[in-house]
Amino acid sequence: MKNKKTGLVFFPAFDWAISPTHPEREERLLYTRDQIFEEGVLDLPEIEEYAPRLATIHDIARVHFCVPRVQSQVTEAHLIAAGSATLLADAIVHGELKNGFALVRPPGHHAMRVVHGNRGFCNINNEAILVEYLRRHHGIKRIAIVDSDVHHGDGTQDIFYHDPDVLFISFHQDGRTIYPGTGFPNELGGPGAYARTINIPLPPGLGDETFHYVVDNLILPILEDFKPEFIINSAGQDNHFTDPLGSMRFTARGYAEFTRKLNPHLAVLEGGYAIETALPYVNLAILLALAGHDYSYVREPEWPGTMPENPERVARVQRVVEQLRNVWENRDRVDLDKIFGTGTFFQRRKHIYYDTDYIEEEQLERVRRCPNCPGYITIDSRADHGYGHPSRVFCVSIPFTACGTCQTEAYDAYEQARGLVQYQFVYLQDKSTDTFLAFDQDKAQEWVSEGPRVGE
Amino acid sequence: MYIGIDVGGTCTDAVLLDRGLVRAMAKVPTREDLLSSLLEALDEIMKGVEGELVERVVFSTTVITNLIAEKKYDPVGLILMPGPGLSPSLYRFPTDTHIIQGAIDYRGREIIPLRLTEVDQAAAELAARGYRKVAVVGKFSCRNHRHEKEVAARVLWNYPDWHVELGHQVAGQLNFPRRVVSTYLTCATREKYQFFVRSVQEAISQRGIKGAIFILKADGGTLPLESSLEVPVETIFSGPAASTLGVQALTPPGETAVVDIGGTTTDLALILSGQPLLASRGARVDDMLTHVRALAVKSVPVGGDSVVERVGKDIIIYSERLGAPYCLGGPLPTPTDALRVLGLTRLGDADRAREAMQMLGAPLGLSVAEVASRVTTRVIETITREIEAMFSRWEQEPAYRVWEVLQKKKVRPSTVVGVGGGAAGFVSQIAARLGCYPVIPPYAPVANAIGAAVARPTLQVTLRADTEQGFYIILEEGYQGKITERSFNEENALELAKEWLCKRAARHGLEDCVEGLEVTRREVFNMVRDWVTVGRLIDVTVQTRRGILYHVGAGGTSE
Ligand SMILES: [Zn+2]
Ligand SMILES: [Zn+2]
Repeated sequence: MKNKKTGLVFFPAFDWAISPTHPEREERLLYTRDQIFEEGVLDLPEIEEYAPRLATIHDIARVHFCVPRVQSQVTEAHLIAAGSATLLADAIVHGELKNGFALVRPPGHHAMRVVHGNRGFCNINNEAILVEYLRRHHGIKRIAIVDSDVHHGDGTQDIFYHDPDVLFISFHQDGRTIYPGTGFPNELGGPGAYARTINIPLPPGLGDETFHYVVDNLILPILEDFKPEFIINSAGQDNHFTDPLGSMRFTARGYAEFTRKLNPHLAVLEGGYAIETALPYVNLAILLALAGHDYSYVREPEWPGTMPENPERVARVQRVVEQLRNVWENRDRVDLDKIFGTGTFFQRRKHIYYDTDYIEEEQLERVRRCPNCPGYITIDSRADHGYGHPSRVFCVSIPFTACGTCQTEAYDAYEQARGLVQYQFVYLQDKSTDTFLAFDQDKAQEWVSEGPRVGE
Repeated sequence: MYIGIDVGGTCTDAVLLDRGLVRAMAKVPTREDLLSSLLEALDEIMKGVEGELVERVVFSTTVITNLIAEKKYDPVGLILMPGPGLSPSLYRFPTDTHIIQGAIDYRGREIIPLRLTEVDQAAAELAARGYRKVAVVGKFSCRNHRHEKEVAARVLWNYPDWHVELGHQVAGQLNFPRRVVSTYLTCATREKYQFFVRSVQEAISQRGIKGAIFILKADGGTLPLESSLEVPVETIFSGPAASTLGVQALTPPGETAVVDIGGTTTDLALILSGQPLLASRGARVDDMLTHVRALAVKSVPVGGDSVVERVGKDIIIYSERLGAPYCLGGPLPTPTDALRVLGLTRLGDADRAREAMQMLGAPLGLSVAEVASRVTTRVIETITREIEAMFSRWEQEPAYRVWEVLQKKKVRPSTVVGVGGGAAGFVSQIAARLGCYPVIPPYAPVANAIGAAVARPTLQVTLRADTEQGFYIILEEGYQGKITERSFNEENALELAKEWLCKRAARHGLEDCVEGLEVTRREVFNMVRDWVTVGRLIDVTVQTRRGILYHVGAGGTSE
């Protein structure tokens, strides 16, 4: 029967690690492999395993400003992880698959639009690359990303903050208690994409029951209203009760039930570092849920049973849910000028810390408030690597659906910045024509990426 | 001198090789009594040759295949310990299945203890239903076989005369449902296979042959007949392996598609970089998935004797055979008749072949030649498409490491080698469509027997060490041992695996094969807890050299 299968790319990258004892290392998906192989799930007729493929440099340039260039920030493993997600998406769009699971390493949801190095174990954002790929190659416009990692998906949020066609919902452990320290309910998107970013911080120690309260009362209703053409799950598994980095109490079954309800087109693995006690079980349960199979027999050895929740914390979650439902329901009635001011440009300053590479970045991001399109974006970024002079770059991004005025202005901004010696590199990302430029001030040289040529 | 015998469904083929040259060959019909066909073929090639001169006899046989296909075995009950994971309702094993408590995890740690009362109950229920054979299999039993052993001991305590087969002794690889099926089939066929082996040994010694007797396995390796008693199911599907090895022996090395066109099926195989391609997972036996390692062979349901019929305006080739081709006195038109009309074969009667094409084409207003070329084109298209699909399936096989992904390159065949009855008429056109050279090797009709004759004995040993828990496992032996050295590393693991392979070789009388060992898998993972390395998981697989002993027709030069 057609349209019945669940696609899987399993790419454990057994020869890639951040460092030998880093949580993001070769061993991470080892026991998941053992569990999946031993269960024989790959023999089930509803599941089909695919060989991974590499994303192109161009696919990355469509999303990121990698400094100085894409090749210096990504390894082949990164290209394979991102490429595997796009490979499954192709098969889903073509109707070969009903859904898919990119069970891949390395993860990506902390990677922001500008990339000076690795932050939160991420260099490039697999889900964001997938979104832009879907738009460019399949003309899919409205996309929702639901991030179920214990950490706030701050990279994904950053990339789509001004994008009205991408709904980004992240629930995670309260940023006051965990990396990266962001993801509060008041972060709702820029003036052109208000309430297209929804953050649900959860107090530490919450279990499945309250998690599903949030899913049923906030996430699913919002998705129903938004009517995305494609749903992506940033499937981080560090909300598990055994995870060494998170402090939540979710179980494999809780994750599987969430997957069944969300019914995503594609789940892409993010974090999850309880490599023995959680990952083999959570990954198996998610895969079974995607394939429409019974996952009630998947039970981790230390399964705690249902636990009583702290009523005070539950009440806190209920208040957040209520507040965000209000925001969502009134999203078209709010006075945006009151929130964002009345200038032609909305701008914000950002301080970004790269915890893995110890880089301090200062950004000034400006987005044109355009009545005809989502508006072009410029970013002035200065990164302090802790040695020598900080590097400073200027980035211009033209959205997929840009209007003519924004496009012209954006090219002018790029030309202008090319003449300013303080910028070592100046970038232009034109998603409307799929052309990406980079100018190297020292060498007075411009690179162009016009998409994959024959043989690439 | 070497002898190869392939006991196929319709014919039993045999060759006698003398230092790489074919000295005699025979083709006799396969009868119900396999042994008599085997002896007849043997006698034909041994005319005037002293039995003492024969160093080895290798045969491939359908005996196990037939036992399984015809379900000619005693019923086998299952006692399983699947533990948590997939819902047991997804397992559809063709027999009484009892699921009991008890679970081992991926590192071989007990996570749920056994309950012996449940074992007693399961065994009593099986006994009540007349079972005397039982397969006991636990999830992750290849990482720790304690539960399986305890269950077996308990069952045998209650029923000392039962035949109990344990999962970890049958298959060491991961995949519980496949291990269940492999264990079930092993349990089911062991006794009958034993009887067969004994009579073969008897017959061959009656002919004065004192050389070693081997049997071909589905993966193209051979085992001493005596040792094959341990793994009867692995002798299944040795036919396609035999013809693939035959092609390997009869043609120069390269990227080759092997097309073995028989009466009703065409078997396809690939030889890549000079070695037959192994299937990435175990073989499907009687529609059940097993752990049996096999060459990647695709059986296409079309052959020289397939029935061809006109349906409306279409001419259709069916997958069944209803007797011989029309030109050979059969009832209905077949591709062989089409070949006869086109002058691509000399088999049978030309007039009857034309008559067959006439029957098909007249209502459509097609000439005899037009019908014939339409029929052959259909066959050629089907086979060509399947060869292409085999290559892309191979390319699409998953990879779990960066370097594996990067090194996958597009490989296409450079030659198409045809063997089997129908090969001559089709191979050149198949090759033309694939843009490669057609080859019909000398001795093509007995390539399978040649393949059997020159197949190498194969043995492999997989060692898995867990230095944190301080033990290692030899998968093929179902052995669990302690690691005492604190500094046990990859090199120690490799040495230990080699020692075990030598031991294993000695046990099978294959001491000579241990030269030129190949390391086919090498995996080391550090286990880190709280940023400190607490141990290593080391997996190594060593095996004897795969492939053929020498090329045939080239004067016996060694590979
Ligand atoms: Zn995380
Ligand atoms: Zn505009």
